[in-house]
Order: sequence, then structure tokens, then C-alpha cells
Amino acid sequence: MPETPTEEFVPRPNPQPNEPMFGLDGRAALVVGGGGPLGRAAATALAEAGADVAVASLRAGAGEVMRVNSVANEVWSLGRGNLAITLDAADPVSVEAAVGRVLDEWGRIDILVNAGDAVQATPIERIEVEDWQRAVEANLLAPTLCCRAVGRHMRLAGFGRIVNVASVLASRGMANTTAYAAAQAGVLGLTRALAQEWARTGITVNAVQVGFYEGQAGFGDDPQRAAELARMLPARALIDPADAGAAVVALAADSGFITGEVIAVDAAAGARV
Amino acid sequence: MAVLDRFRLDDRVVLLTGAGRGLGRAAALAFADAGAAVAGAARTAEQLDETAALVRERGGRAAVFPTDVTDAAAVQATVERTLDEFGRIDVLVNNAGGGAQGDGAPLEELSDDQWRRGIDLNLTSQMLCARAVLPHMRERGSGVIINVASGFGLRGGRYNWMYVSAKAGVVNFTRSLAVSYGPDGVRTNCIAPGIFPHTEQALAMWRGGKYIPVGRVGLAWEMGPLAVWLASDAAAGLNGETIAQDGGGLSAIGPTGWAPVVALEDAD
Repeated sequence: MPETPTEEFVPRPNPQPNEPMFGLDGRAALVVGGGGPLGRAAATALAEAGADVAVASLRAGAGEVMRVNSVANEVWSLGRGNLAITLDAADPVSVEAAVGRVLDEWGRIDILVNAGDAVQATPIERIEVEDWQRAVEANLLAPTLCCRAVGRHMRLAGFGRIVNVASVLASRGMANTTAYAAAQAGVLGLTRALAQEWARTGITVNAVQVGFYEGQAGFGDDPQRAAELARMLPARALIDPADAGAAVVALAADSGFITGEVIAVDAAAGARV
Repeated sequence: MAVLDRFRLDDRVVLLTGAGRGLGRAAALAFADAGAAVAGAARTAEQLDETAALVRERGGRAAVFPTDVTDAAAVQATVERTLDEFGRIDVLVNNAGGGAQGDGAPLEELSDDQWRRGIDLNLTSQMLCARAVLPHMRERGSGVIINVASGFGLRGGRYNWMYVSAKAGVVNFTRSLAVSYGPDGVRTNCIAPGIFPHTEQALAMWRGGKYIPVGRVGLAWEMGPLAVWLASDAAAGLNGETIAQDGGGLSAIGPTGWAPVVALEDAD
């Protein structure tokens, strides 16, 4: 809880420098939405940096579960502990069970990455209430439930690094993306408010706001359309998901003075007028 | 392993202004730890020499060039001497700045000279350094510029005039460098540090971090890894971005420590 000015203030303990600077040896991570391009990039980058990684799906569809298993295998081949978890991240019971399973296996969760990305591209006239709810459930409710579920453990441990992956469309508008953009903007609100709520617990909550990336549904999955989009961007290229993965590692290894921050990995797409 | 290699700066050369103390010195040590050679610029030679000695103690390479970063000719000379010494400049860190030139008092008490000197030190200096290194970086088709701003570059401060204006200029100068020279392989990003007291006095003034959301002040070394990340290939996707390292200060609505309580059954 935020401290009231009348209570006696004791500063939070000072952190020690990470050795090596970005190493994550001994850390345990849960990557939700681990079957998508950003989830795969986050999971493999965390494993390369030394963390054990539990890879969980965003939704329990057969295709995504297969991709999650494949990413978990990559984590294993990097020599780290791995788990593949079938998860419906918008279902609180399923989320609690997934977190419980990671804690049963490893006894800790130091890092949570909400990497799920459920693009919905529809003109508003054709968006039904159910479509809106699906967009909000996958893009916003899922990370909220995952934060809530790991929070209990992280608060007891006095340490946590939460990274919510969001889209450049959370801050800039584009036609046909109303439900998606609104849900994505919600992720930024979640990040800032939760960073404050848990500011004095040793948990940092940050967002990595990724530009249009290679393999992204609707933006980077069709080569010709992706090339057209890339021509409109300052970098003339889509984002390599590995660059988002590196940002996740940087935040996971941070000493704790960066929190509530939204970091754009968008190659200047959001910096231009 | 692979991702950790991307964070390394082996054989890179960093030109760092304001390297004599505080965050600049801490960044110099972190750059050295990441494998880079550090060319330090600052006004005070003695402090620069101390930084260089600390870098060498850790096995790093360092050169120091006492420089007035508000003087275009001096900046040009330092860039040339760095190129003579190390053969290249991969990273420019525009860290020099500070000084509350007339800030903290009503606007009518601010003198023209205080305003101009403050803007020169905090904003013009960054333009001079960027202008001096860009031909070299563009010719090589690669380079990184890191500008140091402040939380005051993103929010207003009571009776704060010059500093907020200069630092806001730094944030937007960063964006224009990014969109202009990104296509040439030069990435430009910005760090907005929060409260990093360098003295016991300053620590006491900030009450040890009582009004900072995370409940402590920043430690100078904490900026090192952030600067290393931005300087490294691991930040290849970042351009034009400003990252606040401020213990949650900017994401809060002021240093209130206050939160509403509404019973769920009453909330509608």
C-alpha cells in the first residue's frame, strides 16, 4: 500500500549490481502468449540470459498449444529448465493453476512476461459486443489476471519483474483497430497503475510497446502487405521480435529503479509527427 | 548466450560528456565493464582523471579531454582527438548538463544571461556534440547517440524555467535525430533520470526517497546498465525513445503516496 506521510519512512533496501550485467542465472520466468512471435522471442532471450522459462499459451487452441510446445523445446535446447503450459489466460481458474504449477516445479516466479497479442482488425460497424469482449479478454484481461496471480508470490518474495508487451497502436491511431487499440491502451494503464500499487514491494511493472513486427497477424504475416506497411515506416522495416526479446531481458535484469515505464521498441515509428 | 553477446560493447568507442562525476562517471565504468573504450569529456580535468583511473582499474581503456561542451570549437577538437586516439566513435553520450540557472525563483527574477547559459549547457551542448560526431557516424553507416534528459523534460516543475525547457528540448531533439539519421544507421535515444542524489545533503533534501514511489532514491551505478543497453546492438529496435529511470515518478500523478479506497460493492 502507498505509504501515508504520517508513518515513519524507512527507505527500501538498495539493490546490488547484477553480475554479469544482464545475466538471469537462477531466475524463473513465466511467459504467457509464448507461442506467438513476441512470446517466442521473449522466452528464448530469457533462456539465453540464463533463466528457466515456463512457456504458456494465451488461448488453449490446438495450434497455439503446438507452438508453445515448440518454444518450450527451444528453451530446453538452450540448456535451461522449461515447462509448456496450456493456458486460457482470460480464465482466472486456469491462470491460478498455471502459476501454481510453476511454483510447484521451481518454487519461484521472478519474471512474468505478458507477451500475448490478439490482433483484431475490423471496421467498427462490424464489431459485435462479443468481438469487443474477445479483444479485451485476450489483450487486457489476460495480462491483468496473470499479474494478479503472480503478485501474491512476488510480494511474499519481495522481488518481481513484470513486463507487459503492448502495441504502438496503444498510443497512435490506425483505421480498423478500435477494439484492439483500446485494449492495448488499457495495457498501458494497467502497467502504470500496478507499478504504483506495488511500488514498495520490490516488484517493477513495465511495458514494452512494440511497433509492427515480423510475423504479426494482420501486419507482418503476409509478405506483400508487410512490405507495403514497411515503406510507410521511418525504418522502412518491421521490428525483429528478437529486439523486443532483448528489451524484456533488459527490464528483467534491471535493478528496480525503472517502473511504470512504457518503452517503445518501434524503430522511431512513434517518434515521428 | 547469444542475447548477452548483443549487450556487449567490445571494441566499441564511447565519447561521454560530463564524465567527471555522478551519473557520467557511473556510466563510464559500466561502459568499460561491457568492453568499450571510454573517451571522457568534462570541464574539470582532475575529476576526469579520477574517472579514467577508475576505468583503468577495471581493466578498461580510457582517454580524457577537458572540454567546454558549450564551445563549438572545443567540442570539434575533442571529437577529433577521440578519433586520433581510438580511430572511431561508436557511441556519443550527451550527459553533461545540470545547474539551476535562476530556477527556483519567480520568472521575473530570471535574468536573460541565466536563461541563455542554462540552455547552452543543457541543450545547445547536445546539439554541438551530435553535430560534430554525425559526419563520422553517417560515413561509417552506424552509430548510437544517447542524450540524457530528465523527468523535468517530460513534466513541468514549480518555478522551474530553464531546466524544464532545455530538457524538453533534449527529448524532442532526440526524436528528430532518430527519424532523420535512423535510415543512415544512427540510432538516437534518451534517458530521463529521476532523483539520483550525489551528496548526503541532497539525499537528506529528498528525504531518502520518501516521495519517490519505489521508496528510495536512484543509485548512480543503476544508470550504467541502461546506458549500456541503449548503446548496444540489443537496443537495435529502439530509436527516438526516451526511457525514464525514476523509481516510478513519472507514471505517478505526483508524489502523493495517496490512493483511493472504494468498496467494490459500492463502486458502480
